[in-house]
Amino acid sequence: MMPLKLCIPRLNDKRQDFNKLAHLWQQVDAAGEKAHVHFDFSNCDFLRPNAVAFLGGLARLIEYRGGLPQFETGTIRQEIKTNLYQNGFANVMGIDSPSWDGNSIPYREDSHEDQNSIVHYLKSNWLGKGWINVTPTLANEIAGQMWEIYTNAFEHSQSAIGVFSCGQYFPKSHELLLAVADFGVGIPSNVRHHAGKPIHGKEAMRWAFAPGNTTARELPFPRGMGLDLLKEFIRINHGHLEIYSKDGYARVDSNGEVYENLATFFDGTLVQVRLVCDDTLYLLSNEQESSPFF
Amino acid sequence: MQIKVKELVGENAMTKADGEKVYSLIHDPLIEGQTVELDFEGVEVFASPFFNAGVGRLYADLQSDALNAGLKINHLSSFGQRVLHRVLDNAKEYYLASPAHRQAIDRIVQDTAAAM
Repeated sequence: MMPLKLCIPRLNDKRQDFNKLAHLWQQVDAAGEKAHVHFDFSNCDFLRPNAVAFLGGLARLIEYRGGLPQFETGTIRQEIKTNLYQNGFANVMGIDSPSWDGNSIPYREDSHEDQNSIVHYLKSNWLGKGWINVTPTLANEIAGQMWEIYTNAFEHSQSAIGVFSCGQYFPKSHELLLAVADFGVGIPSNVRHHAGKPIHGKEAMRWAFAPGNTTARELPFPRGMGLDLLKEFIRINHGHLEIYSKDGYARVDSNGEVYENLATFFDGTLVQVRLVCDDTLYLLSNEQESSPFF
Repeated sequence: MQIKVKELVGENAMTKADGEKVYSLIHDPLIEGQTVELDFEGVEVFASPFFNAGVGRLYADLQSDALNAGLKINHLSSFGQRVLHRVLDNAKEYYLASPAHRQAIDRIVQDTAAAM
């Protein structure tokens, strides 16, 4: 069998970059079981963390299907290599690399929902590098909000290979970025299954983001609210949340919410969160609610 | 009866599984009319799956009056309080709805699909 040569282009985090990622997945999907896939970086001069998380997951997906992913490390430009050394992805590619440093936040793979390990990652590696003047209270709140992304990925995606994440701090824009990818069924597929009827990607995403809605109604109690809390946090704190899931897209920021259909898609979900690293912006839940809980 | 949540689940109260641990300890005593205290001292990070599974589902069997009288929540951080309030508002709305209303809520997405 001839190996599939996967040409990795320049990958930023705009819509056209997502389309490129989805196109890479489509090539791998079309190659089927037991495919040998060579990742060629000759044309790649930029890789955002969303692309790193996605490519890491794609390599595991190929392995899960009995194939062999191979990173053509000789094709990787030095500046990209340096970045991949820093975030630890070079180890995944089979390159012995020095320990992590710089503005990168380590790439990680989670095959199961290990909340303590993920919270430690968020608090120590993502928030705790000193680039945001974060109080312990704020760190705990942000970690809880980001956890909602992970728990949604684990609970709803049915991803057989787990969840992949990577992040970065951007000193010029003073932003903190976290990208989380899974290769499960995607949010619109879950909503369609729940509805029992066809429904457009954007409407499925809008439904999933509405307060109290969840596709996990098989359990004997109401669910949801996690994404609603996250949306509120993002809006109030001038953050930016984007979710590409199957054929649906959602964006939340201080301007509101946008839902769209996607023409180019992959089986899975890619979430990206941007937070502004200015703690004076953050509005915490300092006000004690005086009303009784029940 | 006092439950130190940190001893039960650790510093992070976030998952459905940990919420179910709490629920299994407090449900029957509350039904029997006992007073239960959930002490969150030392618990730092909170997320909705924990409260959905641990506390929100109590509304299936208990009314607000009984819960306010029987279940005491102490040392819960401001953020934890906000998550809990949000989860409880949702649970209350769900359980207080009539069965017909609940079915209507569940049908909304189907109607949306049919109209497209």
